[in-house]
Amino acid sequence: MVITPVHYIVAPLIAAFAIPLLTKIHKDAARIVPGIVLFYNVVISFFLMNHIAEHGMISETLAGWEAPWGINLVVTPFTGFLATMVSILGFIIWLYGYRFKRTLKGGEVKFYEILQMMMIAGSIGIIITGDIFNMFVFIEIVGISAFSLTAFYRSRDGAEAGFKYLLIGGFASAFLLLGILIIYTQTGTLNMAQIAERMPEVPQQMKIIALVFFLVALGIEAEMFPLNGWAPDAYSQAPSPTSATFAAVVSVAGVYALIRVVFTMFDVEGVNNYLMVMGFVTMLIAEIAAISQKNLKRMLAYSSIGQVGLILISFGIGSNLAVFGALFLMLNHSVIKSLLFMAGSYFIYNTDDKRITALNGIHKKLPIVSFFFALGSLAIIGFPPFSGFWSKFYILISAANEKYIFLIIGILLVTIIELTYYLRVVGRIYFAKEEEGEPASHRPSINALVAMSSLALFIIVIGVYPDLIMPHIQNAADALLDKTNYIQQILSVKN
Amino acid sequence: MMDFQTLFEQNIEIITIAVYGTAIALIVIGLYAVLMKKHLVKIVIGLSIMDAGIHLLFVAVGYISGGTAPIFSPGSENAATTMVDPVPQALVLTAIVIGFAVTALALSLVIRLYKHHHTANIDQLNSLKW
Repeated sequence: MVITPVHYIVAPLIAAFAIPLLTKIHKDAARIVPGIVLFYNVVISFFLMNHIAEHGMISETLAGWEAPWGINLVVTPFTGFLATMVSILGFIIWLYGYRFKRTLKGGEVKFYEILQMMMIAGSIGIIITGDIFNMFVFIEIVGISAFSLTAFYRSRDGAEAGFKYLLIGGFASAFLLLGILIIYTQTGTLNMAQIAERMPEVPQQMKIIALVFFLVALGIEAEMFPLNGWAPDAYSQAPSPTSATFAAVVSVAGVYALIRVVFTMFDVEGVNNYLMVMGFVTMLIAEIAAISQKNLKRMLAYSSIGQVGLILISFGIGSNLAVFGALFLMLNHSVIKSLLFMAGSYFIYNTDDKRITALNGIHKKLPIVSFFFALGSLAIIGFPPFSGFWSKFYILISAANEKYIFLIIGILLVTIIELTYYLRVVGRIYFAKEEEGEPASHRPSINALVAMSSLALFIIVIGVYPDLIMPHIQNAADALLDKTNYIQQILSVKN
Repeated sequence: MMDFQTLFEQNIEIITIAVYGTAIALIVIGLYAVLMKKHLVKIVIGLSIMDAGIHLLFVAVGYISGGTAPIFSPGSENAATTMVDPVPQALVLTAIVIGFAVTALALSLVIRLYKHHHTANIDQLNSLKW
């Protein structure tokens, strides 16, 4: 193989450390190089997806050590699907942020681009690694980049949000290490497939203690209630492309880590119900909190947490159809929430005011961005011609199949809440009386328009022809649920 | 006068309890500092102490009674059975580096917070609320 999964991690790392040198040669290198690297990641993704469609899953051993001893990178239809999604969104977010950052002073663009690239590379690393300690390292790479980016604007609130995020992230890493320690003492291995194989022999108490550590640590990363206090602050204080990345990339990686640990490594009874209940509480509280927000980005952040709650509910139901719905929703959430953050940040950029009340009648100033925002709002609520409809539809069907009536009521109730707060914003944009003011000073640049319209196009096309993407999601769901195959393949693969 | 090795082996149980006890005590002290202290720098120190406790626990778990350093050298190719477990040591090295980066970042954020707020008391940092 010419292209291997390790390129996902190596290319961004080399580029990240080369950028400070390259900027000495050409001043725009800091902006262009991440684009090349992230585009290369997209190329790798398509190549690898084709490869696994023909030859089955890839388990690449690093440094010549076979799977149970060395670190391995695993690309199954499931991890490949998520890695592809994260790569494409990472590239689109780069495209969106290309010119946006020009308003900052030259020196800072470099650091922004490096951290952003590291965050995306780390997220891909979390997704494709097959080693639990390696996953910890990638979570820390994502974490440190995310803390720094949250405090990127050297403002009062930025530092506070960054410190809060760092403190809770420090807790997460400590708990994750303790969980890994317990697992290592009980099974004598760090390879996730081998841990899963040896898990039935582990005493029940140890299993539960380790699982609690993992749930707390990864719950923080996945924004699960009550461990998500950092999220609204981080989302609202970070630069706008970073907020989109938090929603589209980092939360996906966090949910992946949680699901991989719960579904593949542990076989504890009742953890599915726990996921379902915590997802339900997360969703309900986040959506109720979203109604009372006055700040647009905070509202979107709470909406993101609500979506993650719905994803967790759906994973908790645990049937094939429910996992399918959850993966579909992960995809939709990434795409739609990126679009909303991208469009929303142009409003903030122009009005210089993060409050929702500042949006009165802004559609006359920014017609295209307003259209994208409205489209994204309708899609995330789940209106029929858009892709958001299908994921919610399948989750509801799977809940109905398993006779979880209270879940159906809850999800529909939450949809009404979503309808209220999104349409309140859209209503302000289109129908509120326009405030006196000069025309928009920052019209969207061409690259931002390309980024936003490609996301919007995806939402509409998948909404009309969901069959285009559904086979891939179905493969991903099958691969996630087929645990024995995963274990056997990894422990027997020899490159 | 007994040499160190025999003294160590005679008291291995006490030493084991001492090492594990120290590790757990460090974790608890760190947790206490993070949760109860008001000064930002003390909170960061608490985070470091907690990390140190976890690292000690890792190394302690990898110890095998009477084990040697996990290095293959000429003359001791068959030493694998008497070596201590090298994996936790490798993990701790990685974790120390990560902990260092997090602490450095945390302290730089504390400096920035102090510049903006003119205080390092966490109770007075409340511009962001739910």
